[in-house]
This record gives sequence, structure tokens and C-alpha cells, in this order.
Amino acid sequence: MRMENAKISQVQFFILLVLFEVGTSLVIPFGMEAGKDVWLAIFLGAVFGCILFIMYYQLYLLYPDDVLTSFVRKILGNWIGIPVSFMYIVVAFYISARVLRDFGELLRAFSYRETPICVINTLLMLLVIYGVNKGIETISRTAELNFMLVILLAVFGLILIFLTDQLTLDRIRPVLENGWSPVFRAVFTETLYVPYGEVLVFTFLFPYLNNNKRAKMLGITGLLISGIALSGSMLINLLALGFHIVEDSPFPFFSTVQKISVADFLDRLDIIFLIVLFIGIYFKLSLYFYAGIIGLADLFKLKSHKEVTFPLGIIIIYCSLTIASSYSEFIMKGKGVSIKFFVFPAEVIVPIILLVVAYIKRKKRGKNNGAGRENQQNQKKSSPDQST
Amino acid sequence: MTQGLVNDQIVTDDVIKALVSTNNLQEQEKKQIFSLIEKQILSVTNTETISDWNTFFESLLNGETIVLIDGFDQAIATSTVGGEKRPVSEPQTEVTIRGPRDSFTETLITNTALIRRRIKNPHLWMEKHPVGKVNKTDVGIMYIKGIANDKIVDEVKKRLNRIDIDAIIDSGQIEQLIEDETYSFFPTIYHTERPDVVAANLLEGRIAIFIDGSPFVLTVPALFIEFFQAADDYYMRYDVSLAIRLLRIMIFVISLTAPAVYIAITTFHQEMIPTLMIIAIASQREAVPFPAFFEAFLMEITFEILREAGVRLPRSIGQAVSIVGALVVGQAAVDAGIVSPAMVIVVALTAIASFATPAFSMAISARIIRFLLMFLAAFMGMYGVFIGLMFMVLHLCSIRSFGIPYMSPLGPIIFRNIGDSIIRMPIWAHGTRPKLISQKNIERLGADQKPSPPDSNENPTG
Repeated sequence: MRMENAKISQVQFFILLVLFEVGTSLVIPFGMEAGKDVWLAIFLGAVFGCILFIMYYQLYLLYPDDVLTSFVRKILGNWIGIPVSFMYIVVAFYISARVLRDFGELLRAFSYRETPICVINTLLMLLVIYGVNKGIETISRTAELNFMLVILLAVFGLILIFLTDQLTLDRIRPVLENGWSPVFRAVFTETLYVPYGEVLVFTFLFPYLNNNKRAKMLGITGLLISGIALSGSMLINLLALGFHIVEDSPFPFFSTVQKISVADFLDRLDIIFLIVLFIGIYFKLSLYFYAGIIGLADLFKLKSHKEVTFPLGIIIIYCSLTIASSYSEFIMKGKGVSIKFFVFPAEVIVPIILLVVAYIKRKKRGKNNGAGRENQQNQKKSSPDQST
Repeated sequence: MTQGLVNDQIVTDDVIKALVSTNNLQEQEKKQIFSLIEKQILSVTNTETISDWNTFFESLLNGETIVLIDGFDQAIATSTVGGEKRPVSEPQTEVTIRGPRDSFTETLITNTALIRRRIKNPHLWMEKHPVGKVNKTDVGIMYIKGIANDKIVDEVKKRLNRIDIDAIIDSGQIEQLIEDETYSFFPTIYHTERPDVVAANLLEGRIAIFIDGSPFVLTVPALFIEFFQAADDYYMRYDVSLAIRLLRIMIFVISLTAPAVYIAITTFHQEMIPTLMIIAIASQREAVPFPAFFEAFLMEITFEILREAGVRLPRSIGQAVSIVGALVVGQAAVDAGIVSPAMVIVVALTAIASFATPAFSMAISARIIRFLLMFLAAFMGMYGVFIGLMFMVLHLCSIRSFGIPYMSPLGPIIFRNIGDSIIRMPIWAHGTRPKLISQKNIERLGADQKPSPPDSNENPTG
């Protein structure tokens, strides 16, 4: 069941996907286990992430009008389905709180050392609540506008960093010093799940697509493009700073941007960093929060998701503050507990089970009335390209 | 009673003289005198038979002359509407360098004639909807049948019919009664006093609303980007207007954020300013007793007062205000050490920028948002400014004008129409009308419209 009467176009879907993927991952280093070859691990994560995406997309094709929480119940039945959906909602809110905390910590490191993190988080969360209340159409239109700005800034930043002449190729040599194994270990313990497997959130957005002819292709392209962007930015970090600084720095991208200095005039361009960061985090947080809210509204059969956005937003703010007592603890939890116990089962194990069960069910039912489901899908595909 | 509303010449020549000079009527003709007078004797352009008092008074008050004949229960209204009108003159608020120089007046028929003169097409439809109880003001809806979206036309009619008010004096009141968002800083209805702009809007599928007595015509639906499109953008050559269009977007951003960014950078992010400049700014600010926010607020308020005074003052005193503004506020405030020279530059830049936005209704909303952004900047630095701007963008993306997303063609992106948004492509590249506004008939150019010189061997000069 769709909670909102909204439509998003394929372009909007693509842009949301890229912004969502790039979001936090641009600034927070991940996959460091792969050593100097972390950029490879990040890119390979995107390639394997496409497989996960295709899996989620298949689930959507089986249930084209349902968000994750409702097709889980249809596939597994209410007794197992309701607890599983509820788990997904909790994970969505948990990760929202994590993203929010990430942002607060970052801003404190950036320039608000004296400001309580609670104030920073509250302001951002209010903005997210406003956006989610306005609905997915508003969020995706805003994403389109912001995407243009991000592209402009990215091009600008790239030109500047090349002009600065800080990049040394020797810093990533030798490539694959320890062979492929650490790279793949990083891919399958970390980079695949965060950020690429997080594309699972889009199972809450698929039903809004006004046209899904090219959605699969665009989704894969989006994943690969964000893979290139993330791996490229990590590569630049490595080239500019060297692996040891990247590894030790909590926000290597930030340190790289600070190295930019052109003609003694264009230096300290932290502001570019801040804008890109702000936009990326905003959409990541909005989509996670939106997914959680929609899931909740769907599971508890609320009239409108707007009934719960505000109270849950406040809860997210509170969670983001109490989730960990220090930033190091926060990162530790993120790398260990959160991936092992939340992200991995939610992104890989459960969807595989869902897909298998759904196919078995379909085969069984196919003998009785195979035509019904097919028709439904065809109608969806041929629906006219409506404006959003 | 209706002196000044009628055309005296028509009344004396065509009504009174005609009636007086007709004396020797046949007996038979006397029975049919009513139709005789209406059809043959009166030589005015338009007559109408009326049979009830309401229409009687209405016609009388509109400036028509009514002929009552003894023994008949009907009367003849003759159109002798006249009186003083302002002639068509140059536009006062939307001056252009190139392009037509006429503007609307207070008379509805003159205004519609100005449009009909530009679009001589039978599909240009005009419907009248009188609005008001104490006074019935004529409100005209004009659109091109076949280009305008019927759903939007119906929506406009529906909203106009909903209005239940004593009287309408100006189009601004209609605008406030039919707009989508009352609680928004942004106008969702465009108004203009230039007939060429209205004609162009009609050709794009928009709907014009004329109000008798107002020289400002409303057009709907209005898009955000429309408020940055000046008429001569389309009359000047493409490269120039492209550059100016981009400049305007920059101007809008400056007029929104300049003081806020100055406050944020000087109070929170000093490290972002190059060293030499920060020394200069710091030495200027040393003598200033106020925090940057208060300094900026003081100057902005002063400027707003000056501007408001300038609007209301008679022209002859206007100069005095500008002298007081320039000398007292600019020079003296700096000399007295109340504000720093850098601040004066920022405020002046903002002021000029807000004058440079072509649509006043958009410039004025930037003025208000600027103050909110200044508060946020003083509170949270650049982060506050981003929060404020993001709120603004979210809001802009959430509103619609008569069903059309306000930020289109940028959000949602419509690739075909992006050529006339923050950029302007050459005229021959504007192949289609705005997709969401006009949905049926969107082709506007034939194929292969790009001009090119003839081949060199066909060149007339050889």
C-alpha cells in the first residue's frame, strides 16, 4: 500500500539514489581494512551492490504497489511478517539517528566546537521533519535542484584540487600490495553494505515511480556513478594526504579540501565541503527517516504519515544524542555491531529469504491464477508519463 | 447624476437630436414606436432592451443613456459610455530598453484591445465574470483556446466564482483571493502592466485575468523562474540575454544572502577570509561597538526606512531623501564609528541587488527572507544560513501555482523547457511551450529554424 498519493519520475529516482549513496560516505571514511587499495574496495562495493539492488528490484516487480513493510507481510504472512517489518522500521530509525549523529560530530569538528551537538542536530532534524511532512514529491524536487548545485561544486572542487598540485601518484603505489584478499575482505565486511546495500531504502520509493521502464538500468547506473564518485574522492584523499593520514583522520575529505590553495586567494574552501556535506546528509537522513515513517504508517495503518513525523523526529534527536557517549564509541558501534547485527541481516539475509519464498508462492499460485499478477504489472508499466 | 460617465457628444448628437428631429410619424408607426426608436431613430452603436429595475440602474450607472417611452413597459439602453480615461502610456514599473512601449490603463476594454491587437486570432477567448456585491467589477479571463490547459481554465473560473466580497478595487485583491499559498513569501500569481508580456504568456498557454479599474493584469499559473524573465530578455540577442539571465539569478542570491553571509563569516568563520582581508576588516571593526549582526540589522533597517520614504514621497522632495540617505546614513554613520565601511558596502550591494530583480513582488519577498537569514546567521553561522535556504528551497518545491509545480522546469526537471529558465537558449531552440502549462498543443516552432548564411557561391555579393 502506498501511503502518499505521489509520483516521482525516473530522473528524480536516479538523483535521489546518487545523493543518498554519496551522502555520508563522502566524508566518513570506510573500508579502511583494504589499506592503500581502499578506493578499489569502494568501487567494487558498488559493483556488488548492483546485485543487491537487482534483488530488491525483483521484489518490487513481484509486488509493484507495495512498500517493503507490506510485501514482507504478504510474503511471510502476518505472524512472521509483522515482527520482521517492525525490525526494518527500527533499523531505519536507528540509522537515521546514526546519520544525524554523524552530521553533528562533523559540524563540531568543522567549526562549531562550542556549540552543543543537541542544537545542531535539532535544527537539521526540524528541516527533515518539514521535508518529510511535505512528502516525497517535495523531497525529490528539492533533490533535483540541489543535485545541480552539487555537480557544479564537484566540478569546481576538482579543478581547484588539480590546480593546487598536491596530488602525488606514489602515495597509492604499489597497488594491490597484499593481493586481492584484503580488498575483498573490506568489500564483503563493509563497503558492500554501507553505503551500497543501503539502497534497500528505495524499496519504500519504488511504488511511487510513475514509469519503471528504465528504473532498473537507472538504479544500476546511479549505483555505479556514486561508486565512481566515492572511490574517486577517496583516491584524491589518498593522493593528497597519503594513507596514514587518511586512516587517522576522522574526516579525510575535510582535510583534503583544506589543502586547496590557489593563488593565495582561493584557500580554506571549507564552505564547499560544508555545502556538499549538508546536502548529502540531508537527503540521506530524509530518505531513511521517510522510509521508517512510511513503514510505521503502513504497519499501524495510520491515515497519514504526517501524524507521526514530529514525535518520531524528536525521538530520533534524542537517540542521536544517546546512541554513543563519544565519537570513537560511535564509530566502533557503527563498524562492528551495527553492520553485523542490523545491516547485514536486513540487507542480505532477509531479502534473499523473501525472494525465495515469494517465488515459491508465486509458482504455487501460478498454477491457479497466473494471469492476475501479470496484468497488474503490465498496467503499471504502460501508465502514461505523468508530471510530478 | 451620471455626468462624467457618459460621452456628452454621443448623447446630444445621436440620442437627443435624433429623437427631437423625428416628429411627423404616421399613425401606424406610432404603435410600433418602441422598435422604431430602437432600430431606426437612435444612431448609437449598441442598444439593448431592458425590462427590470436592476438592469436599469446598472446600465444607468455604467454610463448608458436610457430612453423611456410613455405607454411601454420596457426601456432602451443605449451605449453612451464615456468620460475621462487615462490614455495608453509608457510602462512605469517595467521599463525595457527594447520592445513595445505601451502599457495597460485602468479601462478593461482598452486593455483587452491591446492584447487583441497583438494576437489576432479567433481562438483568443475572453470571458467576463462580474465580481462583487456592492459594486459589480468586471473581471475578464482571457486565454487561447486550444493552447491553454482546460483544467487550469476551469480552476481559474472556479476560484473566481468562489469570491464573495463587497467590491474589488484592484487586481491585487483578486490575487490575494485566488492564490494558492497565503502563508508564503513567494507570489504564485504573476502581474504585469505590459501587454507584450501578457500576449507572450497567453501564447505559452497561460491565462490572463483582467480587472476593470486596474492597470495590472494577472497571469496564471506563475512559475518561480518567470519572475526573473524580463521582457527584453526575448528581444535582445541570445548571448547578451543569457549572460543577463545568469546575472539576475546571482543578483537574487546576493540580495537574499549577502548580509547573512557577511555576519556568518565575520562572527563564526573568520578562517575562511584571506589573511590580508581579515586584517582590513578587523581593523575597521575595531572601533565599532556592536556585534556584526546588530550592525547589519541597523543598516538594513535604515535602508528599508529610506526606501519606504522614497516610495511615498512626492517627487520634488524625493531628492532630499536620497541626499539625507547618502550623507547621513552612509558617510556619517561610518565617521561616527557606528558601522564599519565594509558593512556599508555589503548593505549597499544588497540594496542595489534587490532593485535589480525585474519583478517587484519577488524582490520584496527576498527583502523579508533576508532578515530571517540574518537572524539564523547570527545564531548558527553558515550552518544557519544553509538551514534557512534549505527551508526556503523545500518550501518553494512544495508549492504549486494552479496545479503546476512552482519550481518547474528545474524541479521537476523538464529537459525540454530548461532552455528558458536560469539560462536562455536562442529563440530557435525554444521549440515547445512549457510542458506542464500547455499540455495539448506544445509545438511552437517549425523544424530547422536555426538561421545560417547562404552557401558562399550563392552569396548575393559574389
